[in-house]
Amino acid sequence: MNAVTLGLSAGTLFAMAVVLAYILGWASRKFHVEVDPRVTAIMEALPGANCGGCGFVGCSDYAEAIVADGAPVNKCPVGGASVAEEVAGIMGVELTDTLPFRPIVHCGAHTQDKLLRHDYLGEKTCEAANLVSGVQGCTYGCLGYGDCTRACNYDAIHVVDGLATVDYDKCVGCGACANVCPRNIITMTPFKYQRVMAIACSNKDFGKSVKEVCTVGCIGCKACAKACSLFHVEDNLSSINYELYCQDYTDELKKAIEKCPQKRIILVGKPTEKHLAETKDMDVPELVEAEFRTTVDDTEWWG
Amino acid sequence: MLNYLVDIFLIAVSAALINNFVLHYFVGICPFVGVSRRIEMAFGMGCAVTFVISIAAFISWAITTFILVPGAPLSQWIAGFFVPAETAAKVDLTILSYIVYILAISSSVQFVEMYVRKFYPPLYKSFGVYLPLITTNCAILFACLTIMANIVGVDDPADAWDLGRSLVLAIFGGVGFTIAIVIMAGIREELDLCDVPKPFQGAAITLIVAGILALGFMGFTGVDSGLRKALTPTVEKQAAVENLPVGKMVKTASGYRLIG
Repeated sequence: MNAVTLGLSAGTLFAMAVVLAYILGWASRKFHVEVDPRVTAIMEALPGANCGGCGFVGCSDYAEAIVADGAPVNKCPVGGASVAEEVAGIMGVELTDTLPFRPIVHCGAHTQDKLLRHDYLGEKTCEAANLVSGVQGCTYGCLGYGDCTRACNYDAIHVVDGLATVDYDKCVGCGACANVCPRNIITMTPFKYQRVMAIACSNKDFGKSVKEVCTVGCIGCKACAKACSLFHVEDNLSSINYELYCQDYTDELKKAIEKCPQKRIILVGKPTEKHLAETKDMDVPELVEAEFRTTVDDTEWWG
Repeated sequence: MLNYLVDIFLIAVSAALINNFVLHYFVGICPFVGVSRRIEMAFGMGCAVTFVISIAAFISWAITTFILVPGAPLSQWIAGFFVPAETAAKVDLTILSYIVYILAISSSVQFVEMYVRKFYPPLYKSFGVYLPLITTNCAILFACLTIMANIVGVDDPADAWDLGRSLVLAIFGGVGFTIAIVIMAGIREELDLCDVPKPFQGAAITLIVAGILALGFMGFTGVDSGLRKALTPTVEKQAAVENLPVGKMVKTASGYRLIG
């Protein structure tokens, strides 16, 4: 290693850097591609999580689809309403109601409410427990082994006292929990408001059978349907028509909540202060706050 | 001339099949595992690698021959201004090989990316993130280093690889990479339909399949020396061509050789 080698090395690298920089600079001008400035602007507005929640490959793909193919501007589940508004502003389109889809667990039975429950010594997953009869009396309700908790990437659903409970502050509405639930009791529902009503039961059996297996199940008595036209009882199970759901029905809904003998109509979502004030004097089951534990206890014996 | 053609042929077969970059030398594993999910994507990746590897081989052959190798004309000429000619002849810049090759590879990838983006937007879209990934593809660096070894490492400067041999190695190395990754993608497409035991799912079964595939390609081992024997003119023929007496030691360019 002498001065000549050193000098030549430095010179070689410097010359290469200059030559390549010149070529690349020339190529970048020569091969310049006109990109729609709106695409760039939308790219900046999008969160850049590349989660694929919008149904496109990534944020850049979605941005191009908005500009080129007129894809809906409100598809981004991570960015939510604020990003949809921004993107709508860039595209100059009117933003229609963006309905964030959020999961609702259609079961309200905690461990003490579930009857005919037996010790289950198998693998502690809902998928496995669902294959076995007799884990609990209700063959529709939440098993509480936390498949949804494991599926969630956002730490937004937890099994609280034997019942899967969504933390709507953390939930982004990706739908992973709804996909993984072997009993399909989690539905992705359009949240027209921060807080919506839901039927906390999925049992389709006759009232008598429901009462045998659960203390809090929907018995299909149709009391709610009589009180409010939004409710529809089919197969002994009440359901809410979310397409028509709006504030015009508030009074009827309140009546339905009062009429329900099982108190199965619950409010889910983030309560606003107004909501809290409205429902202060009403006897509705309060949303259970999420706790960071599951029914799967480390000390349990794994069969 | 005939010897040169045989050499080219052997380099091509060897790079594509016998000493396949992926399945024999285990370079370029990351795109091999990462982009081998669908056959079309694998084929696109193979073509991109072949293209980039050819450009990189051209650049690296030129740089090695004219600048890096001891006694290279360009560096010798420049050094001649500062030191006496006999010192200048010994200037050896091969230490620069890695950094220079990486520089050349990454800028050619950048160039290709811009070119493809301008003139073949659908191809650009289908490559997506994988085109920049080629920048760090070790198969390409491996090709450059092989070329360097065959220029710097030879005893006789006349045996050093010329541009033709280098390009053939690069192109057929890329073809071999394409063959390997397309075979892999075909297997993995079928594998999606199989009931793989849980511990083997995902990367594990992919690596096992790659290993079995490599074992299969080991079957080619030795074909190159057999081919060389079959293609090289036998000593009698050669003796007849060169008009040499059979059965005695003959001095040739690379030392003494027994004829007959």
